[in-house]
Amino acid sequence: LACAPHSQMASATDSRYGQKESSDQNFDYMFKILIIGNSSVGKTSFLFRYADDSFTPAFVSTVGIDFKVKTIYRNDKRIKLQIWDTAGQERYRTITTAYYRGAMGFILMYDITNEESFNAVQDWSTQIKTYSWDNAQVLLVGNKCDMEDERVVSSERGRQLADHLGFEFFEASAKDNINVKQTFERLVDVICEKMSESLDTADPAVTGAKQGPQLTDQQAPPHQDCAC
Amino acid sequence: MAADSEPESEVFELTDFTTASEWERFISRVEEILNDWKLIGNSLGKPLEKGIFTSGTWEEKSDEIFFADFKFSVTHHYLVQESTDKEGKDEVLEDVLPQSMQDLLCMNNDFPPRAHCLVRWYGLREFVVLAPAANSDAVLSESKCNLLLSSVSIALGNTGCQVPLFAQIHHKWRRMYVGECQGPGVRTDFEMVHLRKVPNQYTHLSGLLDIFKSKIGCPLTPLPAVSIAIRLTYVLQDWQQYFWPQQPPDIDALVGGEVGGLEFGKLPFGACEDPISELHLATTWPHLTEGIIVDNDVYSDLDPLQAPHWSVRVRKADNPQCLLGDFVTEFFKVCRRKESTDEILGRSTFEEEGREIADITHALSKLTEPAPVPIHKLSVSNMVHTAKKKIKKHRGVEESPLNNDVLNTILLFLFPDAASEKPLDGTSSMDNNPLSESEEYNLYNQFKSAPSDSLTYKLALCLCMINFYHGGLKGVAHLWQEFVLEMRFRWENDFLIPGLASGAPDLRCCLLHQKLQMLNCCIERKKARDEKRKTSISDNVTNTYPGDAGRPGDQLGPDNLKDMDKEKGEVGKSWDSWSDSEEEFFECLSDTEEFKGNGQESGKKGGLKEMANLKPEGRLNQHGKLTLLHNGEPLYIPVTQEPAPMTEDLLEEQSEVLAKLGTSAEGAHLRARMQSACLLSDMESFKAANPGCCLEDFVRWYSPRDYIEEEVIDEKGNTVLKGELSARMKIPSNMWVEAWETAKPVPARRQRRLFDDTREAEKVLHYLAMQKPADLARHLLPCVIHAAVLKVKEEESLENNSSVKKIIKQIISHSSKVLHFPNPEDKKLEEIIHQITNVEALIARARSLKAKFGTEKCEQEEEKEDLERFVSCLLVQPEVLVVGAGRGHAGRIIHKLFVNAQRAAAMAPPEEELKRMGSAEERRQNSVSDFPPPAGRELILRTTVPRPAPYSRALPQRMYSVLTKEDFRLAGAFSSDTSFF
Repeated sequence: LACAPHSQMASATDSRYGQKESSDQNFDYMFKILIIGNSSVGKTSFLFRYADDSFTPAFVSTVGIDFKVKTIYRNDKRIKLQIWDTAGQERYRTITTAYYRGAMGFILMYDITNEESFNAVQDWSTQIKTYSWDNAQVLLVGNKCDMEDERVVSSERGRQLADHLGFEFFEASAKDNINVKQTFERLVDVICEKMSESLDTADPAVTGAKQGPQLTDQQAPPHQDCAC
Repeated sequence: MAADSEPESEVFELTDFTTASEWERFISRVEEILNDWKLIGNSLGKPLEKGIFTSGTWEEKSDEIFFADFKFSVTHHYLVQESTDKEGKDEVLEDVLPQSMQDLLCMNNDFPPRAHCLVRWYGLREFVVLAPAANSDAVLSESKCNLLLSSVSIALGNTGCQVPLFAQIHHKWRRMYVGECQGPGVRTDFEMVHLRKVPNQYTHLSGLLDIFKSKIGCPLTPLPAVSIAIRLTYVLQDWQQYFWPQQPPDIDALVGGEVGGLEFGKLPFGACEDPISELHLATTWPHLTEGIIVDNDVYSDLDPLQAPHWSVRVRKADNPQCLLGDFVTEFFKVCRRKESTDEILGRSTFEEEGREIADITHALSKLTEPAPVPIHKLSVSNMVHTAKKKIKKHRGVEESPLNNDVLNTILLFLFPDAASEKPLDGTSSMDNNPLSESEEYNLYNQFKSAPSDSLTYKLALCLCMINFYHGGLKGVAHLWQEFVLEMRFRWENDFLIPGLASGAPDLRCCLLHQKLQMLNCCIERKKARDEKRKTSISDNVTNTYPGDAGRPGDQLGPDNLKDMDKEKGEVGKSWDSWSDSEEEFFECLSDTEEFKGNGQESGKKGGLKEMANLKPEGRLNQHGKLTLLHNGEPLYIPVTQEPAPMTEDLLEEQSEVLAKLGTSAEGAHLRARMQSACLLSDMESFKAANPGCCLEDFVRWYSPRDYIEEEVIDEKGNTVLKGELSARMKIPSNMWVEAWETAKPVPARRQRRLFDDTREAEKVLHYLAMQKPADLARHLLPCVIHAAVLKVKEEESLENNSSVKKIIKQIISHSSKVLHFPNPEDKKLEEIIHQITNVEALIARARSLKAKFGTEKCEQEEEKEDLERFVSCLLVQPEVLVVGAGRGHAGRIIHKLFVNAQRAAAMAPPEEELKRMGSAEERRQNSVSDFPPPAGRELILRTTVPRPAPYSRALPQRMYSVLTKEDFRLAGAFSSDTSFF
């Protein structure tokens, strides 16, 4: 399995990883995604809900970094998602940030019932900017939206912060399976868009100002190592 | 010209189309295509605007057809025009001449700077060409030519197409075309003469006028006036008076760090030859009437200085040799070399052998020498040369690819701390860099290279320079060897490597840079350890340090690695025997297993005694107001071990290992276990700092959200805070609980190192030593490209040319895409280098032109601006009009350039002079002008006369002629009335 932290996009045809991967599994692209956020905001539950469609009220607090795999179809392409789940504790920051550079997408998560986890979002975002690759896509997710009674962070604040940081925003619940699939699929779409965009535009220096997602039917990115 | 009556009659004999001949099929195919392309009938466009042939867009459509098995291509060339509202026009204008016939007389686009030759010759905006499809094919025999022309004629007649249709005959390079244009009751024949040798009477206006008139055969007297356009083109090749300022740097001159004006760490720039090879001056008389001027065998009024229009174009040298481009290209070539360092230097494993020899001598000295107390008194300036001597010893001075001066200069440039006696605090200078926020400085992030003030970047530039000037591949291999030795030396002697940002490897940089940073991390830790050890030794003078016995100070050459290792082993053992007096361990995170045993021992001890009775150790500071749950003591944050720094390849390796465990629950558990070292270490530190603590205490510090506090009202009715571990921490035998149970109270300093700096340093050093020059070049190519882009940017800033700016931006974005991949394709890399070379040539051209036109010398601000604009236009436009012709500012400069060149030519050897004076034409020119004989004479003659009979319709007639040194061409378009003749 390839998870070269420095290869920004290891597509199946990448000369370096291609063989290893294709003998392993059948897919056209592999996206590496990282879930980050404060400790006990529900990162692991979120991932288990998406990858295994299961929920347990208590998962062992993640030590270091863990991962799951899910393959999805997008525009007739098999996309293998390698989703890395990280420990949220402060002490693990240096270990986990080392993995940022290889990620093409981030799910930055906070807990709507926990103010502190929301306040930390700005910090996490700075970490992404510092350690990740320029084109990495980020989605902000407010988890545990099933616990309306204990909510301390309004959707509005979440949305505002997301706008401010330039991320897309979802409120979700791993427990009630709300917006989990949608979150991942949206992230995949955003990555695909970015990918085809940078393939299409001959000169992103000129058109780079173009912001915001346009939901075009993405052309399947060609079978080269795309510059995304 | 066409004898079309004969074949035509044949056609009429055939009625059975099922047996149609090849020829008929061919014609009908042509007709089909003309129909398909909707070229039927007359669609009049707007009159041609001035210059539209150049400013407008030309397009073409192609198809292929066969005459028997001979393939022709049919191509429609046309100027893209704004859709004229055809509907508004009366379509049925019977008498209107075809567009092309009208265009024959239009004078707005004579001598277009860039156009299809038929456009230049006939002034057409639209035409169809029928030509052999293969470049080597040609229609040669006269009968075939006639057959082809007949086909053209028939197809046009059958379809009513009014677009001129040409057939290309003879060899392609001759550009011979015959053609026809048909309109209602009118026809234009396009004829051509192409000769190597020009008959004397055609070299001047009066002779050509005679041909034109005789060709028209106009029966009227007096003949309607003929309008004349003339262009004479002069070529200036001799720039001698302007020495091209850039000389290739002198390789041999090496003066104190400068190589022919080039310092190490800088890149050269510019073209070695003049990137502008020729200047073409076209002097044009756009509108003359017969009789106004005289131009004949013996006399000419055509003085270029008096021409009303001047325009200039420049010819650029093809691929001028450009220094920067060459530099980068040559370096790139190293990437493809297969040889290893040893193969190149022709001497195998100097390192190994050297070490062996040292081993023996060392072993002996151990026996004989007294044991001195080690003092780190060595200055870096010595050590740079130690490494070098080592190689020399084994290879012999004469074999060294790099001479000493060069090598010393480079090493001093790379390791400036070697110049001062006391080593700099290597890293500090990098941290507060004022540039660090600038876009340019951060380019390394995009290119995955290294910061422009880093050692890696400097090394790349030095290798680039050496590859080019000092011994090529051998020099590269030699310097790399030196570099690796230096790295080892620094590791062994606790000298930090300068020019690297401190801290963990920066994953945004190239791998080599990360490796060097990694080595620095190791050195830093080792240094800290060694320093602590030294203090402890001097504190305990009575305790002679057994590990130092027989150690010949620290003047160890880099080859003595094995000894060092061996000694370290000894050191470890000896320390082990001291393990009772624990205060001696004082922050020494040594690398040996013994320490772990040590820790476990004390852990066992702790287990026997009451935990709380242990002396607290390794406290960092108090954690707020928190107290331990069991005994109420303040909760202390322990000193912990820093996690191991990682380079991207290690990280990749590790995550690969983690990923291999798969996604099953067991895999996940194993993964967590593998990563638990850090957790365990922290727990042990915590236990040591907080005797009597419990997991809850640890969690409150480490993962506060996993300790849940609730206000409860106890039986007495008081509100009390009751806390407990979160549900997930209470999962039986989970990772955290397990680790907590295993953890012994051991302070960080006595734990086994999480980061084995000795091992990692050796790994890095080995990695470095294994790199072939090609590997090295691949590692450093991003740095070289980065440097080249910065250089081009710097040079551009002097020119301030907006188009160059744009290209540079494109190069940056392109490079950052390509270089982000682990193994960029060679083709893509070449492309980047090519782009950089092009920009360099562009800037060099701009400079060359500026120098030639003396824009700097221009005093009047306004004139200077005009001149600068003129010069920059020359670079981008095919042809630039000289305002004021020969009397304008630019015109006077051009005139002077020619005069100077003429003067220089006058001093040329006599035999050349004789050749020069060869033709009458040239004699005539030479006597009157400051200009050389024209390289090209072009004439366009136009008139409107009735043809063939006096009562026929008056129709456009045109003849173009061009005379150059190599050939002579007449291209005539003669129209005749086909109804009244």
